[in-house]
Amino acid sequence: MLHLHQILSITWKDLKILFKDVGGMVTLFLMPMMFIIVMSIIQQGMFDPGDSGQPRRLPVVNLDSGNLAAEVIAQLDNVDGIEVETDWEGEPMTREQAEALVTDGKRAVVVVFPADFSERVEERLDDAGARATIELITDPAVSTQFIAPIQGMVLGIAERVAETALAPARIEAGLAELLAYLPADAQILLDKMVIETEKTNVVHVERVVPPGMGVEVFPDSYQQNVPGYTVFGVFFIVATMAESILREKREGTFRRLLAAPLPKPILLAGKLLPYYLVNLLQVAVMFSVARLLFGMALVQPVALLVVSLALAAAATGMGVLVATFGKTQTQISGLSVLLTLTMSAVGGCMVPTFVMPDFMQALARFTPHGWALQGFQDVLVRGYGLAGVWPDAAALLGFAAVFFLIGVWRFRFD
Amino acid sequence: MSDNIIIEAQGLVKRYGDPSAGSGRGVEAVRGLSFAIRRGEIFGFLGPNGAGKTTTISMLSCLLEPTEGTAIVAGYDVVKAPGEVKRRIGLVPQELALYPTLSARDNLNFYGRIYGLRGRTLRRRVDEVLGMVGLAERAGSAVEDFSGGMKRRLNIAAGLLHRPEVLFLDEPTVGVDPQSRNGIFEHVERLNADGMTILYTTHYMEEAERLCHRVAIIDQGRIIALDTPRKLIADLGGGIIHLGVANGMAEGLLEQIRALPEVRAVTQFDGKVKVEATRAQEALVGLLALFNRTDTDITSLEVLEPNLETVFLQLTGKRLRD
Ligand SMILES: Nc1ncnc2c1ncn2[C@@H]1O[C@H](COP(=O)(O)OP(=O)(O)O)[C@@H](O)[C@H]1O
Ligand SMILES: [Mg+2]
Repeated sequence: MLHLHQILSITWKDLKILFKDVGGMVTLFLMPMMFIIVMSIIQQGMFDPGDSGQPRRLPVVNLDSGNLAAEVIAQLDNVDGIEVETDWEGEPMTREQAEALVTDGKRAVVVVFPADFSERVEERLDDAGARATIELITDPAVSTQFIAPIQGMVLGIAERVAETALAPARIEAGLAELLAYLPADAQILLDKMVIETEKTNVVHVERVVPPGMGVEVFPDSYQQNVPGYTVFGVFFIVATMAESILREKREGTFRRLLAAPLPKPILLAGKLLPYYLVNLLQVAVMFSVARLLFGMALVQPVALLVVSLALAAAATGMGVLVATFGKTQTQISGLSVLLTLTMSAVGGCMVPTFVMPDFMQALARFTPHGWALQGFQDVLVRGYGLAGVWPDAAALLGFAAVFFLIGVWRFRFD
Repeated sequence: MSDNIIIEAQGLVKRYGDPSAGSGRGVEAVRGLSFAIRRGEIFGFLGPNGAGKTTTISMLSCLLEPTEGTAIVAGYDVVKAPGEVKRRIGLVPQELALYPTLSARDNLNFYGRIYGLRGRTLRRRVDEVLGMVGLAERAGSAVEDFSGGMKRRLNIAAGLLHRPEVLFLDEPTVGVDPQSRNGIFEHVERLNADGMTILYTTHYMEEAERLCHRVAIIDQGRIIALDTPRKLIADLGGGIIHLGVANGMAEGLLEQIRALPEVRAVTQFDGKVKVEATRAQEALVGLLALFNRTDTDITSLEVLEPNLETVFLQLTGKRLRD
């Protein structure tokens, strides 16, 4: 009971000191918040291709042996803001060329009309289950929000063209049946005709990924910068914590505390808890700002909390470790800044890992930053729940344990 | 151990650095201290910087384990029952062990809570110690805005919250102006009058002389004398005589001075001659007779009163401060 009281007293004291320290508050809260806001806004264009308001170039591969695809393409070309490209370097585009365009990142999406497009539409007259497929070859990085309107537009035009093409034959067939059975079941047949035209769905648009391109979803600007700079800011606790511990050693306050009936593990716990709480507060503040300013969706709050708890453990563990290196304030802050900035960069907090070369992406696995960022993005980008983030949380707790054990082993109170 | 003894140290040794690690043999900061402090006493450790005062206090307050020897403080062994010892002692470190951005009251509240005080008891004790050191009016100000003397007083106050039986004051007046220093002496004397035993370390001989009932003079980790200041001075104080001479003194004459009774050492510098005597008055008689005989002109003459400084000089051949 006394020990819990002591831990809470130290925590309260350190929080008071921290919240009176303007420089510390700026570093821990204002700086990451500023980065989140500024970077999210200025990088919007980099992460969301094609949001520029200019005509969107839409490459189309026409393999159709009939002429329905050509009609669809002509109508697509008439849509404002869409510029259809059917040729590549003077020749009609092939499927391979189109795939290469996507794979090389030159285009986000390509429309492919297969050879049997017209044929399949016409089969519909005899077979109610027949369907014609249009393929959308896309970069898996491109978000659904970007693809959906294109998909809807292609589908809408293709359906209309197909219906128009089928209408004369249908009316003809319908009239033939009508004449044959008249007058007995005239009413029923009329109903059937109406129903059939309503639920046609002759055309089906399917999103596909070029062969060899991984199915991976990438973050948008907010989903990169909000968790990225949150993790970045959280690790600034390392400097704050290490400096506070050094100050207590140098100014004799540890001596005074240890001359009181206060066991060393209790004192250490009291030096951890406040910074752990500040870390959690940082995450809460940053995510709330993102929610308020950018409307960032905070799905799966439990999974986000678990990642945050593990992240804070890794950051405070590192604080204890760094406090055992360096004898002066300058050494400690230099070391902390060097470590946290390098690890932030390598971990993908500043520049997303998906633009990094492979070996750098592998290196990100060796930083707690990389795991924390991945944990947050597993939730924010990929919508994972608790089951999806546990490897990230476990990796962070692993870092926490290693940092903390080495830190405690090296720790000196004088 | 008699009821009257509150601290008893036997053969305390402290070696810094791990001797088994092989990186040198380490520093032997304390080399076999034995002493006993009586309940209700102001006991002084007087010695130059690096003498081993802080190291000894650290062992008595369970911050460091002695390499050798034992110490009993307030009835408990510092190694076997540190928890019991810690509850009964107050440590005022030589550093200002305070949180500068917090107010005086917040600092005291914090240290009080660490000792398990809370609620009304805590508030009452904090008000009490603030009053004792005369800081009640400034309780709400941040410590960083305090003068050096005020900080020192608050540093002492923080060691008093849990009403310790023994108070360790480690150089409590460093960096304090003379007026504040007198204030601190009065606080210490008042605490002692209320029954608190005080172990006071300093490298200022005036402080030891003025405050302490008994003084242990420490040098290089050893106690070289232990007694009341008055007795130390009477036995070992000696004295120093400074002579001004117009054109310097011939080596032959210096030899004659050295041969006088009660003279310990003679040195000449900057046209001055310093005579260190075991007993200044007797030496002076011999000196004046010699000058009369040899017709030596003296431009000035100064006799330094015997005090703990001259005791230390007598014992070690060094000054307390350089
Ligand atoms: N933590 C330490 N490690 C190594 N040597 C130390 C340490 N603390 C003190 N010393 C050495 O021990 C000696 C005694 O120091 P100290 O007890 O602080 O003396 P004082 O308090 O009388 O000035 C000095 O030589 C000092 O350099
Ligand atoms: Mg000292």
